[in-house]
Amino acid sequence: MKKIVSYTFKYQGLWAGCFMVLIFLGSVNDLFAQSDTTKKLKEVKVNTSTIPQVQVIVPSQSISANDFIHYNAFNVADAIRDFSGVIIKDYGGIGGLKTVSVRGLGANHTSILYDGIQINDAENGQVDLGKLNVNGIQRITLYNAQPPNILQTARAFAAASVLSIETIKPNLSAEKPYLVTAGIKAGSFGLINPTLQWQQRLSNNWSFVINGYTENANGKYKYDVDNGVNITQQTRTSADIAARQFDGALYWTKSDSNKFNLHINFYNSDRGLPGSIVLYSGAIPADRLYNRDIFIQSGYEHIWKHGLHLLLNTKLSRNYLRYLNPNYNNAVGKLDQQFIQRELYQSAALSYHITTNWEVAYAADLSINDMNKDFNVPNAFAAPIRMTLLNVLSSNLNLGKLHLQGSILNTNINETVKSGTVSPGANVYSPTLVASVLPFDNSTFQVRAFYKHIFRTPTFNDLYYGGIGNLGLKPEYARQYDLGLSYTKSLNGFLSYVTFTTDAYYNNVTNKIVFVPKDAYNGSIQNFGKVDIEGLDVGIKTQANLSDKWKASLIVNYTYQLALNVTDPTSSIYLNQLPYTPKNIVACNTGIDYGALGLYYNQLISSARYYANDNISADFMPEYTVSDVSLVYHFLSKKLPVTTSIEVNNIFNKSYAVVQDYPMPGRSFRFSFQITI
Amino acid sequence: MKQIKIYYLLTTLALVTVLASCHKDAVAPTTDTPTAPTRAGVYVLNQGNFGTNNSTLTYYDYTSKALTADIYSSANASAKLGNTANDIKIYGAKMYIVVNVSSVVDIVNAKTGKLIKQDSLVLNHVARQPRSIAFYKGNAFVTSYDGTVAVLDTTSLAVTQYIKVGANPEQLAVANGKLYVANSGGLSYPNVDKTVSVIDLATLTVTKTLTVGLDPYGVSADSYGNVFVNAYGVYPTSGATLSVINSGTDAVVTGNFSGGAFSIFGDNAYYLSGGKVLTYNVKTGISSTTNFITDGTTFTAAYAIAADPLTGEVFVTDAKDYSSNGTLTAFDKTGKKEYSIATGINPGNIIFVNK
Repeated sequence: MKKIVSYTFKYQGLWAGCFMVLIFLGSVNDLFAQSDTTKKLKEVKVNTSTIPQVQVIVPSQSISANDFIHYNAFNVADAIRDFSGVIIKDYGGIGGLKTVSVRGLGANHTSILYDGIQINDAENGQVDLGKLNVNGIQRITLYNAQPPNILQTARAFAAASVLSIETIKPNLSAEKPYLVTAGIKAGSFGLINPTLQWQQRLSNNWSFVINGYTENANGKYKYDVDNGVNITQQTRTSADIAARQFDGALYWTKSDSNKFNLHINFYNSDRGLPGSIVLYSGAIPADRLYNRDIFIQSGYEHIWKHGLHLLLNTKLSRNYLRYLNPNYNNAVGKLDQQFIQRELYQSAALSYHITTNWEVAYAADLSINDMNKDFNVPNAFAAPIRMTLLNVLSSNLNLGKLHLQGSILNTNINETVKSGTVSPGANVYSPTLVASVLPFDNSTFQVRAFYKHIFRTPTFNDLYYGGIGNLGLKPEYARQYDLGLSYTKSLNGFLSYVTFTTDAYYNNVTNKIVFVPKDAYNGSIQNFGKVDIEGLDVGIKTQANLSDKWKASLIVNYTYQLALNVTDPTSSIYLNQLPYTPKNIVACNTGIDYGALGLYYNQLISSARYYANDNISADFMPEYTVSDVSLVYHFLSKKLPVTTSIEVNNIFNKSYAVVQDYPMPGRSFRFSFQITI
Repeated sequence: MKQIKIYYLLTTLALVTVLASCHKDAVAPTTDTPTAPTRAGVYVLNQGNFGTNNSTLTYYDYTSKALTADIYSSANASAKLGNTANDIKIYGAKMYIVVNVSSVVDIVNAKTGKLIKQDSLVLNHVARQPRSIAFYKGNAFVTSYDGTVAVLDTTSLAVTQYIKVGANPEQLAVANGKLYVANSGGLSYPNVDKTVSVIDLATLTVTKTLTVGLDPYGVSADSYGNVFVNAYGVYPTSGATLSVINSGTDAVVTGNFSGGAFSIFGDNAYYLSGGKVLTYNVKTGISSTTNFITDGTTFTAAYAIAADPLTGEVFVTDAKDYSSNGTLTAFDKTGKKEYSIATGINPGNIIFVNK
């Protein structure tokens, strides 16, 4: 294994993920709506000073642009880190990889939708949420099982959970046909991040939104190294990032029942990969990662008078990734690997209300993914092409107090390779059943349940990676069972509302895709692991109107996860908690608004974890608490709305790590200034 | 802010409850197997998870039957060994631990594990990545992936010079006043190297480069002046090989050979093959096809093997799933299991220490 694995792990370091388990800021411009009277009415209905919607048929959690600052959210990972059932695997630093694991399932089980279309990665199945800057995002919602609306792309049904990202839509009048928001964020890590958003109304039907930013940072921060005897402070270097992002969206809206949009998105980044902290080594990491990504996607929606509803989505993408290790001890003295992934994707969905309370829908998605590599390892990759056809038949039935939803997904995968042997592909049926009931009259008390049998497809890396890929891999199955309660109480007293949700769940993972050795020098990726996960998600939200000017809010989320390895009863690690899975996480967010001034505080408490399978003291990672504070002030400058903020992350300067040997930054600052014209 | 404090309290309580149900630790075995009277015990060097600073040194004391999960840590005020410890050998009263990714050689007291000196092998902020060690007349020789053999004076405990060899050298062995170094070229996979550098130990210069099988890694020497070089081959196009070098003439004979690196004891070289322990007769050049293990003991992932020349016992480590703690199993000379002890993650080297 030594040879192949050292090679493999180099590659792993690049993703900082792994085989066994492996592409936009606080556009607070909605806040301007408060001082911009011409748009006030329209925007208020979009935003969430109203009671949050918790009576959803499936468990869902949402955050909108207005609230990003409450969480000091710079990217999507920051924005959703308080959600129940969510673990963000964070490798630390401004350019560090951040992936999401929902309810104890690997990152490959969560589908990330960008305006309804999945951001797909056929190579390793994981999306770096750190690359998704919150600039230009209106709302982020996490749905367990699948989104409640059955008129979706088939891919929206094809994951254990869905993280839906919606961009800001133009909302302009003929009187003021444009809205330009310019901002800059700067602070610790040498961060300079200017942002620009231009919304323009072209005619009654046409408008566009352009979002762009550049992000530059040296990424340096101090951290503590503990070699067991003493703790020394060192500086994280080789963690610089230079990123540029452009997203242009064109909208044609004839009416609510006849509309079209087109996105063009570019993302470029050059960054240092500092890697894990290596004790005693006097070496300075010099590894680098380069991304050159582009995608074009469009959506068309039409509702005919007779009620037939059509949704068409198309996407073309090309992702280029280059990994460079300039100090590699091979014949050429460097490791320079380049990968190009391309995707051609078409989705068509139709829905129809047979009766007012009974809706049926059908969706079909066809995607073609390929991958090419360019590095001097002839046998290392087979240049696979994958054709995936997804078909979903779904139905929504509303029987007054009882709401039923069901869907059946068929997945058909066919692969070809330019050289070598091809994976036989797969044909799998995946059912989902969802029910909710409102048992009491005049009460918002809701009971909901779902069952979903879903899977994750082996990635190109799992199947074809040189020496260890396994063409015979089956999908990794996840059976999910959920039973939950939700309750909302609108109050007119000190508190304006209280919402409460709780869901208990059981997930069973079989055929878990893991690396299994054959002998001391060889191994391959196999369907080997089994995992049982029992969990509990709890969420409480409330808001108090203390006076005309004073307002306070509180959100508390709790996560319990017992994620046990049940692979081999004879093994010493049987019934051990999975690595990097804390049993308890408490997230608390509170804020006070006084007129145009807002002060927000966020605290995330994670219980202890183990970073390896043995659950012994050597693998132990202690519990940690991270607290962040932000202060926001809105004012008018020459009648133009301005928002300024100061964010302090890790205010108590706690030393901690989410991933072993990847230290997180101590106290850091971010200042922002944003003006809307 | 009052609300925050209340929640903080509640959650702290919850966390205390969780912490109370703390982690379990490795349990020492109880064995009653006799061993050589001069032997103090056995060390197992564990590489740990790749990319993580969790290499450990397990020690099992034959007399007290006490198992120390990480004697390096307990002997050095809980200091960690580092990232990917790859080789360990005793020379005189000192033990040398080669830590690959940390790029250091730790020189410790062979009996206690107490650190005497740490030598860092780094050139211009780039890790040399040391791999294996051998000794000859007061010098230690350490191969590094940067294509060098460091000469470390075992008196001053400092590196005195570097000898340039081939690509990514792995193991090395001394025979006939010469040092044989396997140049793997493994980091250029699949365009690997296939040479052995021969260093004259009198002049400390490379005098010859011999051709062996593709991607050589294991080097061992017997008492007849033969040097055995195990090579991986290039998966999947060419298989593993064994080259036998006559250190008198430096003639090389290479043949296919599916098995791991040798642990030589007398005329027998013990090696792992397909989960079995097989023997190769160094005199006849013939491998036995029957398992040395006679009691049906099997392994999940047999990882390292060592025969104790004093007792005839054979020790085999099991790396299990390569990400959790392994085991060391001792077999008597008839191939019957004596006992099994818990090791750290990826137990890659076994060495014996005298009283």
